[in-house]
Amino acid sequence: MRFKYLLTLLLAFSMVAAACGGDSSDSSDADSTDAGESDDSGDSAPAVSSGPAVDIDAILAVDLANCAEAPTGDPIKVGMAMDFSEVVGFVDIPGSKLVPYFADRINCAGGVNGSPVEVRVEDVGGDATTAGVAAETLLDWGAHFLIGPPFADFALPILQATNGEVPLFVAASTEPTLADIENNSFLVTFDDAGQSIAAAEYALEQGITRAFVFTQPGPYTGVNPDEFKAAFEAGGGEIVSEQTYVWGGDTDFSAQVSELSGILEGNEAFFSAALGFQVTALRGQLEGAGFDGITYMGTDALDATGIQFEDNADGVIHTPHIFIEAGDRNDQLLSGYADANGGEQLESRGFMGLYVDSMLLGIQGVNDCGCTDPAQIGAAVAAIEGFDGFSGSITYAGTNGIPPKAVPIVQVTGGADVLLETR
Amino acid sequence: MTELIQNVIDGLGRGSIYALLALGVAVIFGVMHLLNFAHGELITVSGYAAYAAFSTGWSWYLVAPLVIVVSILTSLVIERVAFSRVRNASSFTQLLTSFGIHFLVSAMFVMYVGARVKTFSEPSWISDTTAIGPITVEVFDLVVIAVTAVTLAATVVILQKTMFGLALRAAAADFDTARLMGVDSDRVIRGAFALSGALAGIAGIFWLMRAGNTAPSSGIDPMLKGVLAALIGGLGSLRGAVLGGLALGVAEVVLRSQLPGTAAALTDGVVFALIALLFIFRPQGLITVSHAERV
Repeated sequence: MRFKYLLTLLLAFSMVAAACGGDSSDSSDADSTDAGESDDSGDSAPAVSSGPAVDIDAILAVDLANCAEAPTGDPIKVGMAMDFSEVVGFVDIPGSKLVPYFADRINCAGGVNGSPVEVRVEDVGGDATTAGVAAETLLDWGAHFLIGPPFADFALPILQATNGEVPLFVAASTEPTLADIENNSFLVTFDDAGQSIAAAEYALEQGITRAFVFTQPGPYTGVNPDEFKAAFEAGGGEIVSEQTYVWGGDTDFSAQVSELSGILEGNEAFFSAALGFQVTALRGQLEGAGFDGITYMGTDALDATGIQFEDNADGVIHTPHIFIEAGDRNDQLLSGYADANGGEQLESRGFMGLYVDSMLLGIQGVNDCGCTDPAQIGAAVAAIEGFDGFSGSITYAGTNGIPPKAVPIVQVTGGADVLLETR
Repeated sequence: MTELIQNVIDGLGRGSIYALLALGVAVIFGVMHLLNFAHGELITVSGYAAYAAFSTGWSWYLVAPLVIVVSILTSLVIERVAFSRVRNASSFTQLLTSFGIHFLVSAMFVMYVGARVKTFSEPSWISDTTAIGPITVEVFDLVVIAVTAVTLAATVVILQKTMFGLALRAAAADFDTARLMGVDSDRVIRGAFALSGALAGIAGIFWLMRAGNTAPSSGIDPMLKGVLAALIGGLGSLRGAVLGGLALGVAEVVLRSQLPGTAAALTDGVVFALIALLFIFRPQGLITVSHAERV
């Protein structure tokens, strides 16, 4: 929108300058030359937003049994390089099912400006080399943009393959280093700092002044606790202990509990990027040692591993990407998928909207630039403001590819998430 | 000092599980001279069976024996489907086969069940503690240590006092001679895999109780611990496997607790460095295994 405003101003200025003539002719010529080039190339003037390319609510209302006439335009090609291995298969596998489903719904509604949406999925296979090959395959196929896996191990080889010339949406990632608007690489959700700072600020507002963290140095597992620590201490809190653990592996925290026994008062907040079963295991051992008043907090990893369904998870606070309420867009999306696929319930529900949003953001870029050149699509995506998707409002304009999104803070209560607030 | 004693008890609890896993590895190595890297898959498969049972409302009282039964059956199926085909192949081929089984099982669960971690209830007493003087001990650790002791005793009885045990030890000492003496090699090998599966099943109960979850790659960690413990103890030695398991468990807990600050993250690295040191001075492991002593 800001670009459109500037463009309008420039156009108005050039018209005034042209009318005035004289000394301003050079700049006037320059301006008109630029405009002329843009017109000639057709699709080299990106980011002229033309409203939503896809009416999400209308698409959700589509009856798949009564589709409109099939779109006949050139297809919009969506490439998905997904990791089906255990590393992130819990999000990438269901995500790669949902995106083609929603593309079918778009096509059923007549496509995007008469163009059908085609989705091709390639398995990264938990391997960096395969990730690069998968990306090359999708680029050879003619993908206009890619949706990639969340971890840098596999997303970076894809970025190397695109050479920064094809937009890449790392759908479920909170890894800030993957966002680089110059290289057409975009997060679709908040980053590690976003969720960890939100948790720290929330804890402080609840009057908690002492906290301890579990960390495994490195991206995500170490960055999140570090961000929490910095924000908590900056807000006047005290980090009383920092323990190490093996992320995704440890479930016996005897050694840590033994050390913490001499440190904790029992009124602290605990924060980590640990998985759900690790947090409940730690909680059990801490409660066994007599610490009953600790507030357990965590990242989106808790949603990924279904903390809601864990025993002894009541009261745990976490930051999912999407808080789903009965009947809302996300609920309609997931129940619609289930209805169309024999009742299949997709895993990692709180992540799924990010995958569809990735596709819709790419389509929005295609729509905004009115072009098919991936680099121009990327420039148009970079100018997106206030995109209203399944995961909330997304803006890339003025960012480095990390949308400044609201973080839902939820608490497990009676086996379900309850929204405490969004910050 | 109190913390150190507490760490040692915690370590013995953890090490007991490793010891059971290492025993299973040692039994198979004794008979087939195979380092079975598919051993952890017994826990993976049992874990999914446990998850399925919990989903239908079973309690741990029913799930515990189920885990043992599934582990034994899985071990027998793996032997029948894979290892029996490469019994006369080179050790390297057998080793690759065991790796292949590991990856195949993991991939099948990813494809047909899902990559997401499946969680289930831990027993209600898992975090209960009891005080022994100034030391607080987890009931779980005491149960694991006690069950491991009973299992070891039973294993010794089986190996020393039964015909199957005699045949197993004979096959371990000299497989060809044992066959010439009338030992049914197929039966001995199947028996070894069943025994290995039972030991893994008992270890699996405690592993799963503590973890409260299963995933396609759940078998990696127990496999690594079991193989490491067996190597530390001296491959093929029953006593060595137990000793190796206990040493590994105690080393892990004590180091994680005693290393200062974030240096505790180096625990695994330090443990492996210590193992490397051990092998420099005792390449055969803690216990020297003579041919006749195997199994």
